[in-house]
Amino acid sequence: MELREKLNTKGYAIFSIENLKIFEKLKDSVIQKIFNETGKDINLLRKKMAKMSNVEINDSMINLLSLSGASEMMISSCQNVVEMLCGKELFIQRRANTIFNLPGKDQRRQWPHYEMMSGISPFTYVLWAPFHDLDDDGGVYYYDKKKSYEIMKKEHSKGIVNGPDILNMKHNEKPIKLNYGEAIIFNPFILHGNTAFKSDLARIACSIRFQSIKKPLMQRNSDFLKYYKIN
Amino acid sequence: MTIATVTTDINMGPFIIPSNGQNMIMNNYVQRNNLKVELVIPEPIMSNKLATVEWLNKEFNFTKIILCSIYQLPNEKNVSEVFLESMKNVEFHFAIEGIKGIGKDFLQGCIQEAKKFLNADKIDSTKTDWIELYDILNKNGN
Repeated sequence: MELREKLNTKGYAIFSIENLKIFEKLKDSVIQKIFNETGKDINLLRKKMAKMSNVEINDSMINLLSLSGASEMMISSCQNVVEMLCGKELFIQRRANTIFNLPGKDQRRQWPHYEMMSGISPFTYVLWAPFHDLDDDGGVYYYDKKKSYEIMKKEHSKGIVNGPDILNMKHNEKPIKLNYGEAIIFNPFILHGNTAFKSDLARIACSIRFQSIKKPLMQRNSDFLKYYKIN
Repeated sequence: MTIATVTTDINMGPFIIPSNGQNMIMNNYVQRNNLKVELVIPEPIMSNKLATVEWLNKEFNFTKIILCSIYQLPNEKNVSEVFLESMKNVEFHFAIEGIKGIGKDFLQGCIQEAKKFLNADKIDSTKTDWIELYDILNKNGN
């Protein structure tokens, strides 16, 4: 099935990153910012990260704020897909997110949510890719378009959104396993989250939001978005 | 070496930020970037020309100007051309966008980017709901 068709039917699609060289560069830049080291096996660093305290994790996130060019690298690594969906002129997330997921029951668990929560636009796509193989349950689970909509509609009828129905959902969903070099793209109405997982290794991934400049915004938010043109 | 922060009208593009809020944003930015501010410039309300900054630059010869957002830059062509020329040696920082740069091209790029946002169509979030937004996506696609 073609990527666009998958997006239309399921609301999300997995694909191979076209330019792994650029993605590799992004991964190295992130690792350099977090660990101040280069060229090391990422699993050794993931192991180190799994033992970090929440304060150290937050410090790492602050360090990452000074990383420039991550958004451009993320888009460039998947340029054909982005262009096929949204054309050359885009609004892209000004600072691509690096997301850590630490193993263990007491660690942060991202409850199910829609990206639409942040109110950027219904036309914004999310592109998410791990910096390593996802061979444990440290990844993200996704409800397809139909199920996400059913839940949204049910909540809507009660006048709520992302309320107790979602927050109290059983977290036994299985995260999608991706290989390094694969990415997932999904629309902002796809319910997704992660679960507590057992592993010696933390999960490190990067995500970015983007949309066509021709599509409307809910907020003309230059804090979150920036103008970007594919050459 | 003179570094200044600038407060402007409460309305800046899509944002509404009172002066006190503007100062909080800029002070946080300068703190995070180890900058020392020597002058705080209040621009008058209902003006987006940054004319006070321009006049004061003749006296203070600013090295850095801190603003909250790219939306505070003058966007009328005749005003912005004069402004860009007179401020071409000053490094500008925009705290909300987290960007900085120096020279006419940089500032021109910021003005153009703000225009791209202002020209973008907007969905009025007060007149819609989640189901309608979902329908908009499904009817129009990307």
